Amino acid sequence: MTENSKKHVDSCRFCWMCRHICPIGNATGLERNTARARALGLSLVNRGTFVLADVIDNVYECACCGACTKECVTGWDPVMFTKEARLDAAMEGVLPESIEKLIDSCLETGNAYGLTEVDASFKEAAAAHAAKKDILLFLGVDAIYKVPKASVNAMKVLEKAGVSFSVLEKEPPSGQQLEYLISAANETKEQMIACAASLNEFQKVVVFDPQDAKVFKREYKEWGVEIKAEVVTFTAYLAELLEKGALTAADSGLSVVYQDPFQLSRDLGETSEARSVISAFAACNEMLCHGKDTMWAGNLLMKEWMPDVILRVAADRIQNAKSVGADTIVTASVSEYASLKAVAQREVKILSLEELILGI
Amino acid sequence: MQTNDFLHAMILTELEDAVGAENCSVKQIDKVTHSVDYYWLSRMWADRGKRMPEADFVVAPKDAQETSRVLKIANYYKIPVTTWGGGGGTQGGAIPVCGGILLDTKRMNQIYEVNTESMYIECGTGAIYKHIEWAANEVGKATMHYPSSLTCSTVGGFLAHRGIGVVSTKYGKIDDMVLQMEVVLPNGDIIYTSPAPKHAAGPDLNQIFIGSEGTLGVITKAQIRIFDQPEERRFRGFLFQDMSGAFKASRELLQKFKPSVMRLYDPAETASLIKKIVGVEKPGAFMNVAYEGCKEMVEVEEKILLDTFKKYGAEDLGSEYGEKWWEEKITFFYPGHMMDLPQMFGTMDTIAPYGKIEEIYRAMKEAIETNYPQAKFIAHFSHWYEWGAMVYDRFIVDGKDVPEDPVEALRLHQKIWTTGVRAAIAHGGVVNDHHGVGIKLGRLMKEQYGPAMQVFEGLKKQLDPNGIMNPFKLGL
Repeated sequence: MTENSKKHVDSCRFCWMCRHICPIGNATGLERNTARARALGLSLVNRGTFVLADVIDNVYECACCGACTKECVTGWDPVMFTKEARLDAAMEGVLPESIEKLIDSCLETGNAYGLTEVDASFKEAAAAHAAKKDILLFLGVDAIYKVPKASVNAMKVLEKAGVSFSVLEKEPPSGQQLEYLISAANETKEQMIACAASLNEFQKVVVFDPQDAKVFKREYKEWGVEIKAEVVTFTAYLAELLEKGALTAADSGLSVVYQDPFQLSRDLGETSEARSVISAFAACNEMLCHGKDTMWAGNLLMKEWMPDVILRVAADRIQNAKSVGADTIVTASVSEYASLKAVAQREVKILSLEELILGI
Repeated sequence: MQTNDFLHAMILTELEDAVGAENCSVKQIDKVTHSVDYYWLSRMWADRGKRMPEADFVVAPKDAQETSRVLKIANYYKIPVTTWGGGGGTQGGAIPVCGGILLDTKRMNQIYEVNTESMYIECGTGAIYKHIEWAANEVGKATMHYPSSLTCSTVGGFLAHRGIGVVSTKYGKIDDMVLQMEVVLPNGDIIYTSPAPKHAAGPDLNQIFIGSEGTLGVITKAQIRIFDQPEERRFRGFLFQDMSGAFKASRELLQKFKPSVMRLYDPAETASLIKKIVGVEKPGAFMNVAYEGCKEMVEVEEKILLDTFKKYGAEDLGSEYGEKWWEEKITFFYPGHMMDLPQMFGTMDTIAPYGKIEEIYRAMKEAIETNYPQAKFIAHFSHWYEWGAMVYDRFIVDGKDVPEDPVEALRLHQKIWTTGVRAAIAHGGVVNDHHGVGIKLGRLMKEQYGPAMQVFEGLKKQLDPNGIMNPFKLGL
């Protein structure tokens, strides 16, 4: 572990100030699901009391959503040392078995789920956009393999706005899953370099999944992987289309709250674009912890090894919406959409941004 | 109890049966994270790479019924039970010093009712206080319990250690903020305190368990008061050139009305923390006062405040520093702003009537600075009543003066604490104001109470005859 990370570990190991905003800790109530507990464990590794293998399971119980980092007034960064510990574990060969399998799948198939077949509806919709255009709609592994309906709807929205765009027949992985699992490992960077080469065939890349957008705009730059194409988030692009009049406002009569994906709001500082789109179709209200203070609502990747916890995380977020009297949550993250959908009861409806626009 | 692998495995199955296997852990990570709280000695121990005493089992019951099952098992096998809320206590109260069962309350985090007619929230005691504050805010109310550990600690943790927040002068301490409680006794019986906190139906059961630090049972549910949000909250900063004037001014003010925040920093703390965080550059004793409620009342209170403080020579610094203090009130406690290892430090908060508090402050300062020249002494006075005030005094020893050997460091820490708290007791103070006793100050409880200690010991003997509940805490 770098000296800088050790400094952060030693600062966080006795501090619980961010406990209340940890979505995992709130869902499990487990003491170990705090930034402090993770830091304490790692501090004991740094002191030779433990070995990394003793605490590595706990290191993978973190969503790396950055709520703790955002909360810390001193600027300590639990996400940084968590990711570094993951990289160390990969280098030392002490990764949990479940994580090893996901990494292997990422390397073999390009996605952690090990999926190779795509849904027929997606195949058909994508085929209509196989021709090379200036704009690429980058969908991401979750939308392609796990929620193909979301991919199809994303394409429909752009079609509705009259956008001429391409969808890759075999979209390369962005590296976001490996970045989450093993951070700045060579394997991650190799995926990113390969992906960047594909993106650079286009003038503009519209990134549907905030998880991909985050790495394209942040880690790629940090790690010197150049994307020459203009990268724009799907939400920002929709806001632009709306402003230009390519998308037309239509009041659905709904009153909704928006679930900010942390990758957009915290990591990329994008909070207003989705709201401006939503406001064109519904009354947009706020729930507890929104914008940069957003509370993560679960994802598909962590569901692979913590399924029950992810359900509870999503249920907690639905409760936040219910507490302000909301009956509809609009999401801009396919992964959060899937998590929330999995637990939503009748009283709260989950809509993707595309579904709201398309009136589905 | 003598244990062995076979019996350990047997007990584990019983605990799993009581709370569910997924809520019962013997994992190393769970044990170690429940072995270090905010107590300086536990932190120092871990910092030196040593492992604090750990529990054998970490269990998380979801309610009183599951808690009851756990305590029945513990009683049968005579296994120690240590209750853990957020672990943010400074007195070592949550450390399982004798091993056994660590009972983590955070699964009992349900908010059962937000009652805006009778003005309370009923919740499990494992709820993080900030979460019940959010629940109150959602209906336009507030808990008005804002300690620095608001975001880390549980309702039960504050109750167990008689916590306090920064607006206590107006709204009260945690022990003023409870209506009814549900408590699981050591034998597993589930009891309820009186449905109203003010009555003539015998002694107040609430106050027997509040502050009992898990030695007499486990508080599993509580009705916590909520308040209307104030129409207006105003701040005013002052600078006193002498502490005596500040005490007199504050005492007089409290006879007229109750501000929400009253914090007087001695010149040493003004020149260090207040200068760093709030930006007050001038020498003297900084005091921040907040007053709040209906706008008309606030107007009147402001006039009374200014008139009263002027009489005692306070320099009016306006509202800016006070507002800054409010914004930064928790910043003081983040690593990087707060004292931290390798420094040795401790907060020896005590409370006394006005006739004694200034003398206590000076006696403690002298006792620490004379006996331990390596220690710096700073203080502020942050919780005020019509009859007296609390001194939040801290000693700080630079890392270079802290023994490297952990046992020697422990010895020095113990000695400084004993000196400081004995000085407080000798001059009419109380062993602690709002952090509790834990294992840190248990030895001084008998010095504080003398023969009155038998009341606590009698309760302990009757309720916990096997002595399983949080042994060696609270001097019991």
